[in-house]
Amino acid sequence: MVEHLTNFPYLTCMLVSPVIGILIILFLKEEQHFLIRTVALVSAAVSLGFAIYTFAAYDKALGGLQFVEKYEWVKGFGISYFVGVDGLNAPMLLLTGIVIFTGVLTMWELENRVKEYFAFMLFLVTGVFGVFMSMDMFFFFLFYEIAVVPMYILILIWGSTRKEYAAMKLTLYLMAGSGLIIPGLLLLYSTSGLFTFDLIKLHGVQFTPWVQKLVFVLLLFGFGVLAAMWPFHTWSPVGHVAAPTAVSMLHAGVLMKLGSYGILRIPMYLCPEGFQFWAQLMGLLAICGIVYGVFVGLAQTDLKYVIGYSSVSHMGIVALGLATGTTDGLNGSVFQMFAHGIMTALFFSAVGYIYDRTHTRDIHELGGFCKIMPVASAFFITAALCGAGVPGFASFWAELLVFIAAVKVFGIGGLIALASIVVGALFALRVVQNSFYNEPNPKFVHFEDVSPFLGLPRMILIATLLLFGIFPSLMLDVIKTAVEPFVSGL
Amino acid sequence: MKAAALFAPEIYYLLMGLALFLGSLRKQEKPQNDFQVFLSLSGVGILVCVLSLFQQGELFFAAYKVDLFSQIFKLALALGLFLTALICHNLHGIEERYHAEFYFFLTTCTVGMMMLVSAVELLTIYLALELASYSLYILIPMRRGDGIDVEAGIKYLFIGAVSSCFMLFGLSYIFGAAHSTYLADIMAKMPTLLQSPAGLLGIVLALAGFFFKLSVFPIHFWAPDVYQGGANQLVAYIATASKAAAVAIILRFAVLGTPYGYSFAQILVFLSIVSMTLGNLVAIIQKDFKRMLAYSSIAHAGYILMGVLTFSEPGYTSVIYYAVAYLIMNFTCFMVLSEVASDGRDLQITEFAGLYYRSPLLALALMLGLFSLAGVPPSIGFTGKLLIFTSAMNQGYFWLVLIGAVNGTISLYYYLRVVYAAYFMEPGDLPKVQPSYAIRCTTYALILIIIGFGVFPMHVVDLARTAVKFVLYT
Repeated sequence: MVEHLTNFPYLTCMLVSPVIGILIILFLKEEQHFLIRTVALVSAAVSLGFAIYTFAAYDKALGGLQFVEKYEWVKGFGISYFVGVDGLNAPMLLLTGIVIFTGVLTMWELENRVKEYFAFMLFLVTGVFGVFMSMDMFFFFLFYEIAVVPMYILILIWGSTRKEYAAMKLTLYLMAGSGLIIPGLLLLYSTSGLFTFDLIKLHGVQFTPWVQKLVFVLLLFGFGVLAAMWPFHTWSPVGHVAAPTAVSMLHAGVLMKLGSYGILRIPMYLCPEGFQFWAQLMGLLAICGIVYGVFVGLAQTDLKYVIGYSSVSHMGIVALGLATGTTDGLNGSVFQMFAHGIMTALFFSAVGYIYDRTHTRDIHELGGFCKIMPVASAFFITAALCGAGVPGFASFWAELLVFIAAVKVFGIGGLIALASIVVGALFALRVVQNSFYNEPNPKFVHFEDVSPFLGLPRMILIATLLLFGIFPSLMLDVIKTAVEPFVSGL
Repeated sequence: MKAAALFAPEIYYLLMGLALFLGSLRKQEKPQNDFQVFLSLSGVGILVCVLSLFQQGELFFAAYKVDLFSQIFKLALALGLFLTALICHNLHGIEERYHAEFYFFLTTCTVGMMMLVSAVELLTIYLALELASYSLYILIPMRRGDGIDVEAGIKYLFIGAVSSCFMLFGLSYIFGAAHSTYLADIMAKMPTLLQSPAGLLGIVLALAGFFFKLSVFPIHFWAPDVYQGGANQLVAYIATASKAAAVAIILRFAVLGTPYGYSFAQILVFLSIVSMTLGNLVAIIQKDFKRMLAYSSIAHAGYILMGVLTFSEPGYTSVIYYAVAYLIMNFTCFMVLSEVASDGRDLQITEFAGLYYRSPLLALALMLGLFSLAGVPPSIGFTGKLLIFTSAMNQGYFWLVLIGAVNGTISLYYYLRVVYAAYFMEPGDLPKVQPSYAIRCTTYALILIIIGFGVFPMHVVDLARTAVKFVLYT
């Protein structure tokens, strides 16, 4: 991959902005809620600004790795600080920027331990940005862990519904995943003979088939845990339900993408033979996940569980796209990561608003909520339609591409997955019908609808979904620049 | 004059011990006075060690070697003593009339360990080790209490004596086979001993003495009882400085086994795996914080062995880095412990309940210290562990690294339980903790070091790399 160095450290600024935010917040007093929120919002906005800039200014004709910064870090161990943007991570950085910005806005009404909350959240997002931009495996893993661990405290303190259980389960699952990732990464490092963590340099190495197969399966399961790959998904619905709104948004929206992005960036990139060997298994697990998520979701009555299982299903689509190993499949998969991220963020943001008022997420109890809070309900319904794959939203294109590829590669398996999408539509409509269009629950009649300011984050998310739904080429053209050389290397 | 400069840290600490000894002769006890003298002298000691960091040479008929390797560890020991001194302001675990003696024996122990990291001759090593151990034999039962201190003291004495026996037995084998007590001569003769098992047996038995200090399986039994039975400040010292000295001598000594290569490494692989797995699993069920840290130290001994058994430059470098990191992060936990248990009692994990409300700063320090022990970034513990894993993998120990990584997950569980108590449980009627100005400054400094050297490890690693050359290639 060609590396184009940059004159201005755009990526470092994007990464450091939340860190500066944390430092300022640490010196503020607990009571200064407004100031703390503003600092968090500004630092998120700065990162978002840089993310939009790098996405828009990415030179599609030039391709390769742009905005590159590279410094030697620890010489004796071949560690370097090496960040860059290509077609695969440009959408992911944009996604992270949007989700954290809207996430801060969504939590504007938080009153409990505000200072710590925003400090931890910015810490987490630093890790996420870091993973997406790192081209050095050491820093990739460092940021990966940074992104995973604050979740424990975020869920424990500000969560709901069995939060202690959920927090511990989530953390241990993800750390067990890391336990597989470390040996995998280090095996690549030591068998390459180069003693470097530099991904681009390692790409030039021809690893023996045995190493490739072993590393691929280690990293597939290691990252697969975070990507909620069936059967390692069980932490995810529980975790989503327990987490506070903005954390669910970040978590389902962005963190799970770290897993699938990790599979794409390291094992698929460095171990093509390993990929060929395990692709069938990966596809099978993905299809299981898609079907399983939809059917289990059908039986849920808690709105957040519904979204949690739909995430399992949608992340299955991402994994299925990756498993095809074709241009269409990978294009669709990366696009789906982005679309699903925005969509779930919208889902959780909408549910969070309703839950904060009514303190229930039970579908039947909500009843005809549309008649009480039409705007707040509209946000949820839009997300549900998007989740069902209605044309006009970004996820339509993503799913279309993945299924075209899947049917070609996996035949009957692809068709089964496709068929479950029909059930998925039923699933979405059932929830919408029961919670928004039944008889309104008299308990909730006195609630006021969402104000324009509090609705802002949801509007931004909907606008993004529509923008990339109507002009998918905006996104696909960028993704393509990386996917085409990627697939030719597989 | 040159010799005095080379020997400066040891001389300084000897004189410091003397000063403290004179203090202990007073008829009327003035604990506050003793504390101030101890604190300021140990602070100056760091300065002395920093000044003599780049000294180089040999002393006492080449039985004593001063090089960057030994000086780094001397600095670490001085730091360990100073940090321990800092938390001695509420030394309520020891009766007031013994305070001066407590400081005196801590200092002699430090002198012993400083000699240990420089010793390159078998008898000198033994002498230094026993000087350090005897001081500790006296210190442990000094605690005011219900008899558990005596049990701990006896346990430490017995297990220490037995491991010393093993060591002497091993040293005699080595001497018998190589006809020399100088490590350099023995090293040169090693290849000729490959055919007879005496050399290997000797090395393994001799290592037992040092493994005792590091609490490696199977000589780890003392750790939980001594940790629980000793005064909090003393245990902080044992868990930090004493471990660093043990790491230093193990690194110097294990090089002797290199010619045996595979078979020697396999023994260490076995000990490493058992140590970390056993330590982590047993730590899960502990309720007493110090006991939990004791089992965690057994697990950490396993991680350290993982770097030792690579016998390679990156491996040794990462072990030195990790030893220093371990000193810092473990001390952070003990400092919080001694502040929260201000009357010198043992602390149950549940007594950290609501520490966040009682002292946010200490809660943050505790969380960082524990996360660093668990190997969570951005912290020195994470970087150190990853460097060790990297160098082990470079030598082809795939399974060892996999087991180590899985152990990291297990350990996170019990560390998180403490974080859970500190951040989530209600404080109830537990009192507020108000650390003094000095402790607050120390806490900030420790937090900065844990994060700073975790993200920017290059300078420490470069220094350690230079130091390793003195051990591996001479």
